[in-house]
Amino acid sequence: MLMFIFRRLLQTIPVVIGVTFVVFFIMQLVPGDPAVLLAGEGASKETINGIREQLGLNRPLLVQYFDYLTNIFHGDFGTSLKNSQPVLDEIMVRLPITMELAFFSILITIILGMAAGIISAIKPYSLTDTGVMLVALLGISLPSFWFGLMMMYFFSVKLQILPVAGWDSILHVILPSLTLGAGGAAIVARMTRSSMLEVVRQDYIRTARAKGLRERVIIYKHALRNALIPVITVVGLQFGSLLGGTVLVESIFAINGLGRMIVDAIRMRDLPMVQGGVLMASLIFVIVNLLVDVFYRFFNKRIELN
Amino acid sequence: MTEKNKPILEVKGLKTHFYTKRGVSKAVDGIDFTLKKGETLGIVGESGCGKSMTSLSILRLIPSPPGKIAGGQILFKGKDLVSLPEDEMRKIRGNEISMIFQEPMTSLNPVIPVGEQIAEALRLHQNMGKKEAWTKSIEMLKLVGIPSPDKRAKQEPFQLSGGMRQRVMIAMALACTPEVLIADEPTTALDVTIQAQILSLIKDLQTKLGMGVIMITHDLGVVAETCDSVAVMYAGNIVEHAATEYIFTNPKHPYTLGLINSLPKIHEDQEELQTIEGSVPSPYNMPIGCRFASRCPFEQPICHAKQPELVEQADGSKVRCWMYTDKWTGQVIEKEAVQ
Repeated sequence: MLMFIFRRLLQTIPVVIGVTFVVFFIMQLVPGDPAVLLAGEGASKETINGIREQLGLNRPLLVQYFDYLTNIFHGDFGTSLKNSQPVLDEIMVRLPITMELAFFSILITIILGMAAGIISAIKPYSLTDTGVMLVALLGISLPSFWFGLMMMYFFSVKLQILPVAGWDSILHVILPSLTLGAGGAAIVARMTRSSMLEVVRQDYIRTARAKGLRERVIIYKHALRNALIPVITVVGLQFGSLLGGTVLVESIFAINGLGRMIVDAIRMRDLPMVQGGVLMASLIFVIVNLLVDVFYRFFNKRIELN
Repeated sequence: MTEKNKPILEVKGLKTHFYTKRGVSKAVDGIDFTLKKGETLGIVGESGCGKSMTSLSILRLIPSPPGKIAGGQILFKGKDLVSLPEDEMRKIRGNEISMIFQEPMTSLNPVIPVGEQIAEALRLHQNMGKKEAWTKSIEMLKLVGIPSPDKRAKQEPFQLSGGMRQRVMIAMALACTPEVLIADEPTTALDVTIQAQILSLIKDLQTKLGMGVIMITHDLGVVAETCDSVAVMYAGNIVEHAATEYIFTNPKHPYTLGLINSLPKIHEDQEELQTIEGSVPSPYNMPIGCRFASRCPFEQPICHAKQPELVEQADGSKVRCWMYTDKWTGQVIEKEAVQ
């Protein structure tokens, strides 16, 4: 198992390099010259060229890229064009907030999604099942910015039981996490349900019944473990779209996380900051995928170690 | 009545029907049989004749809905299983009556070590502790002839071969020393050498434990080797129930005769295998007369008018055929008809 994790870690290295490559060159395609932006309107050609020289923007792209890559491996993500602070410092302030938000959201996705899926699957085509699946359909269909605003209006403005925005206490966590986790929860619920329904038709469930086991043991010990295997994949994929979702949710709820940082940086054309933020988000996604693989292996030993 | 001849399981007029959108499918339609202690009863018939549904009905494992036991009694040591509350029924399943399923490749849980799958029945029914149940499950694996059982017990089904998985199924079924074992095609998925081993294993254990065994199969070779008596099923009914030797030497029902004659014969040079013409009637639309009549070479008008009863013959066997009643005017099966 340790060997498997180690080998999987090695495999992520080319992925990470690939990500830096894509991030770097996509940034080059963004319209607008950072040197012009930095110099301000009406600056002389010399000033602009001077800035270009200073930032190394006049060198060939590949040289710039390898420079960038070496710096990253030294922990240097560049310097913000806006406030001349190291990008990594800013990221390190923002990252924990976003990770917290992502953690609670994925928790909601998993717990709410699986619980709903199991409830539905235990009595398929019943009133409960139809009700739960209808809510899940809404969860998938409603855009999160609208859902977030509606919850904000209802719980914060009307009922005044939860704070409107910000990120200070556990109460602040509830609405943003729910907004971000709801869509995933709906998908996980549908996946869990169909996976459970598939599994309970299997021969080994009949064997478990023939053994005289209680229905509860059959569902939670014999069916769920098998049903979870495809669900883990979905949760892993959901984490990706969840990271993308932080951009929206952090903006709605005024949370100073990584997503909002990237949005602000894009607005300011602060390329190193955008690069750093996107790279960090990609790294997180790579790590999460690694974790998913490890879980997968834990739940299903049939998957070969190599 | 001696201890050995005491009936342990009596099935009376069992009807298992499936209520679907297409109508009512009468998978099992009024069957009767008795299983004695230490006896092996074979149930044979082609796919879809209701033999598996009969066995699932005994353990009340019919997928419901759409399936339902629509009538009859299943008396196990005098208790009617059909009307038993679910939690009482659970105490019988895997404990007093257990079952071996026909698909060893899919009947074990793929993510639970096989030792644990055996041990869980022991903990449930025999009140054993974790350690004791584990030791006993290794013992069971040894009993069914699995080499290095302590190592195998920790493995998951995918690490075992088909034959070994079927042995695990048997170990699981026998762990709580049941009084009745239902073996639903226990050897169909296995190759012939393993098949012989598994059958002799079941027989061995039966002698040791004195179980009654219901052997469900469509393989007449298995029947000849293991069964004391045989019930032949056709389209949800038992059409003939007799001692195994009579089934092979003196089949009475035309369907049984057809089955025996369609066996390939090793000492004859045969160009083509014999078959029974026609096909089984739809379970949604059973004929009112004899269900085999449309395929029967001996058919008479009476066969299409009314279903015959299962009638006991002089030699103790029972047949559901008009040929063995005084209403019969047609041809009868000659002794030479058995080829």
